[in-house]
Amino acid sequence: MTEFEPKIIAFVCNWCTYAGADLTGTSRIKYAQNVKIIRFPCTGRIDFMLLLKSFGEGADGIIVSGCHPNDCHYTSGNFHARRRWIMFRGLLDMLGIDVRRIQYSWVSAAEGFKWADIVNSTVNTIRELGPYTEYEKVAGYLEKEANQ
Amino acid sequence: MSKIGVFICHCGENISATVDVARVAEAAGQLEGVAFSTDYKYMCSDPGQTMIKQAIKENGLNGVVVGSCSPRMHEPTFRKACQEAGLNPFMCEMANLREHCSWVHDKSEATTQKAIDLVRTLVEKVKLNKPLFSIQVPVTKTALVIGGGIAGIQASLDIASAGHQVILVEKDPSIGGHMSQLSETFPTLDCSQCILTPRMVEVAQHPNIKLMTYAELEKLEGSIGNFKATIRKKAKSIDEDLCNGCGTCTTKCPTKKIPSEFNTGLGMRTAIYVPFPQAVPNKPVIDKENCSYYQKGKCKVCEKVCPTGAIRFDQEDELVELEVGAVVIATGFDIMQPSGFPEYGYGKYKDVITGLQFERLASASGPTLGEIRRPSDGKIPEKIVFVACAGSRDPAKGVPYCSKICCMYTAKHAMLYQHKVHHGKSYIFYMDIRAAGKNYEEFVRRAIVEDEVNYIRGRVSKVYEENGKLIVKGVDTLLSAKPVEIEADMVVLASAAVANPGAEALAQKMHVSYDSYNFFSEAHPKLKPVETNTAGIFLAGACQAPKDIPETVSQASGAASKVIILFSKDELSRDPLIAVVNRSPAPVFSTCVGCFMCASACPYQAIGEELITNRQGKVIKKVAKVNPGLCQGCGTCVAFCRSKSIDIQGYSNEQMCAEVIALLNHE
Amino acid sequence: MSELIKKAAALLESKSVQVVIGYGKGTGNRTRTIFATQVTECENLIFDSRCVQNLAVYLTKLEIKKLGKPAIVAPVPVLRSILQLAVENQITESDLVILGITSESELIDFESFAAIETFLTTHKIEIEEKYTKTIDAIKAMPVAERFAYWVKELESCFKCYACRGACPLCYCTRCTVDDNQPQWISVASHPLGNLEWHIMRAMHLAGRCTDCEACYNACPMGIPIHLLTKSMLQDVADNFGSYGPSLDKQNTLSSFKPDDKESFIR
Repeated sequence: MTEFEPKIIAFVCNWCTYAGADLTGTSRIKYAQNVKIIRFPCTGRIDFMLLLKSFGEGADGIIVSGCHPNDCHYTSGNFHARRRWIMFRGLLDMLGIDVRRIQYSWVSAAEGFKWADIVNSTVNTIRELGPYTEYEKVAGYLEKEANQ
Repeated sequence: MSKIGVFICHCGENISATVDVARVAEAAGQLEGVAFSTDYKYMCSDPGQTMIKQAIKENGLNGVVVGSCSPRMHEPTFRKACQEAGLNPFMCEMANLREHCSWVHDKSEATTQKAIDLVRTLVEKVKLNKPLFSIQVPVTKTALVIGGGIAGIQASLDIASAGHQVILVEKDPSIGGHMSQLSETFPTLDCSQCILTPRMVEVAQHPNIKLMTYAELEKLEGSIGNFKATIRKKAKSIDEDLCNGCGTCTTKCPTKKIPSEFNTGLGMRTAIYVPFPQAVPNKPVIDKENCSYYQKGKCKVCEKVCPTGAIRFDQEDELVELEVGAVVIATGFDIMQPSGFPEYGYGKYKDVITGLQFERLASASGPTLGEIRRPSDGKIPEKIVFVACAGSRDPAKGVPYCSKICCMYTAKHAMLYQHKVHHGKSYIFYMDIRAAGKNYEEFVRRAIVEDEVNYIRGRVSKVYEENGKLIVKGVDTLLSAKPVEIEADMVVLASAAVANPGAEALAQKMHVSYDSYNFFSEAHPKLKPVETNTAGIFLAGACQAPKDIPETVSQASGAASKVIILFSKDELSRDPLIAVVNRSPAPVFSTCVGCFMCASACPYQAIGEELITNRQGKVIKKVAKVNPGLCQGCGTCVAFCRSKSIDIQGYSNEQMCAEVIALLNHE
Repeated sequence: MSELIKKAAALLESKSVQVVIGYGKGTGNRTRTIFATQVTECENLIFDSRCVQNLAVYLTKLEIKKLGKPAIVAPVPVLRSILQLAVENQITESDLVILGITSESELIDFESFAAIETFLTTHKIEIEEKYTKTIDAIKAMPVAERFAYWVKELESCFKCYACRGACPLCYCTRCTVDDNQPQWISVASHPLGNLEWHIMRAMHLAGRCTDCEACYNACPMGIPIHLLTKSMLQDVADNFGSYGPSLDKQNTLSSFKPDDKESFIR
């Protein structure tokens, strides 16, 4: 049996975390291949529906990351995002969706090391949790229907 | 129908060393809607760009994905290439195969697979891209320069001399900055004030420069070309129009024992004061913290002696709003307080001083009138020890970086000392001598050879007092780690250069990035050293990283030229990546229900109301409307809109959804 | 009751309003909504403890708007919804006449939305203990069990959208669940679609819901979806202080405090 390779999607803002991840690259710091980034203008833009979509499409884990509080390129997008995450996380938890599968973080343009660390630790967490079979089962109905 | 072209770059070997680029191109070629796919050594080179242009024309491509470096690096390059081939530039996207893939992973199947996934994701996005057109905005041709040290002075003079208005804001009562405190400058030993003060006067007299001293930035809103800056003019308690700078008040002020900031505490000043004789403007301010009248309600001597009646005790801080098109940050640096290393005894022993204090001692305008006399008893030190890297290059002290200027100024200090105290002996403890710069190495050699300064390669472990002498214990690592002990009369610490205490707060006010040491971050370490990540805000001098004077002046002129380039056009074009409220056929008109949650979430007050009326002029519906001039494209409103009636161009709901699906589904 | 009828009739008589939205007798022991446009129809107005439907839902419905300016019988839950609709710019004071009514059937006049807010300060939303206990019990389950519980509960949902139809705050012209570009949520009622729909519904009500339970009362399958919104109300209170509509307070999710606290962001 091959080792479980988690599928992790990262939603990051262009100004801090995307640039921070660029710095990880420029600094040649290695990290796991499992995480793939989608670029957003701001964490304020990151719709909870997209996080939901990710689980529906088979993600085992999600990273959401942007500028530290007070550092938002757009002044307050990250503050709005933080409130949204607090509410969304509470709801998911109530529903039994494993909130450990979503890692929220602040990674600045200068934190190349931190980005590598976030990626690696998230990959490890998801590896430990294993594939998100509970959600896949729920999502699987769709495919079954389509196949019939 | 989509006809996408995919161009995979090897970036020399930067990508191809760990990613099988040919396979990525091949896999991309099999994606639905991809009409052309190839790989090439350097996509950004001229032949690479020509290849893209030809492919667009020959294959009638309506979308392009370049898999290469970060879009933060070359997105403008490739978008421009597409535009030149007749394709709307916003139909071009980049997959980040270098910074986010090849450089962070080892060569493996998984690395190549990730590259394929990233390309596929962007292909799915670009299929949903729509041609967009730049937004034209007018430019306010006034620059705001923050900080009146040599960097701010140089930038202001350059911009002003190009014919543009400049507002120079300085937090202290005078411009001049650290350079005005220096005695002589390396590697020529010309007097710092002699070369600086004419520039200061030029600033004061320049018709295009408005100088605001004792003032700080309170708030910065808006964006490139059209910022709105709020400046807090701190109350000087002086009517500047009436004050003629006669100086009577400063001589008569009874509170005389305030440590002078300009003289780094080695001299005293009065409560109403001009920081130094050549100050610009040469008009005093009242230091409220130390003024008897403000503290105890009694005194007013200055008011009594002022011949023009210029004292204004009731003056209050004033907030001034300014429209500016560009900002230059030139707020300089600070030195690390050596109290952080008790082993050197700074603060405990009066004769352990910082390099900046030594500058004041050596300066003809300083508290000792240029004679090297130690602070404790005013004696001329016979033996003096300089400690380089006091804090710098020491992760344990929080400064792993090199402060860059200390090697040179320490050599200068020792040299000045030898020139003034011929029989004296000077020692420099150093880690390495970093003297890269025009005539720098020669300067250090002169100190060693001609002035017989003793360089000891090693670190100082301890400084303590014994029998009126400062015992410096260190090690000479060049002589097989032999312990060294010197009985010195004075010790000078080349204290690390650090960011200003207010740097972080200022960066946050302006929304520019800063590094973990609170120095402001440039947009690119090599190719955009004076730009910040925020368009229209530029950097000059040591606020970005420690720098010497020539480097600071060059960067200031660089920043000024960027401002002048920006001001060379009446309008500038902005990316149209902004939010829009949807429209649909009557009777719906728009799915927006007008709850205006977007408006309260918008950081830019860019969302207003639009009334949809029928032919009789009766209002049918009130919906949100985005002001394209104000919207900065953060998309916070988009994520708030429950009915998805507001969307953002370039990062639309459809595009982001397609990216998520494409990224997670590979067979 | 005669007072309510008298007042409603007078409003129609004087043409101050064109329709009175209120409760009337339905079949069996049930009540139903009546829309009285004639003075004589006011005779049918009733009010008692069975009148729990949230009439505020009609204020934003196009069909009702067409009838003209309404007067609305408004017990406390309806008042809360009216205030929230006002916060969200869906109604203005001149749009309607509010026939406020206490649980003791006492009539109260409200001259302004601000007066409603003042009145509601003494009628704060309180989540009953039986619910907090249930929510706590659910939250105490192991995560997988909790998920299974909800998947099971939501299994019977057949996406009739009665919950959406009954909610006074679900007034969008086009609901995102009906959106197909992109298709955020699959239309069919299978477990994933049901789960996503109820997550979206709850999130859209985050910080807005006034806890009227209309969604739960409307659900033909009795799915406890009100537990989701109640749990979120608790989250609002725990994280951001008070809940409940307020004219001078921004909505929880379109406002922020720079020092909002959380414990999960690295």
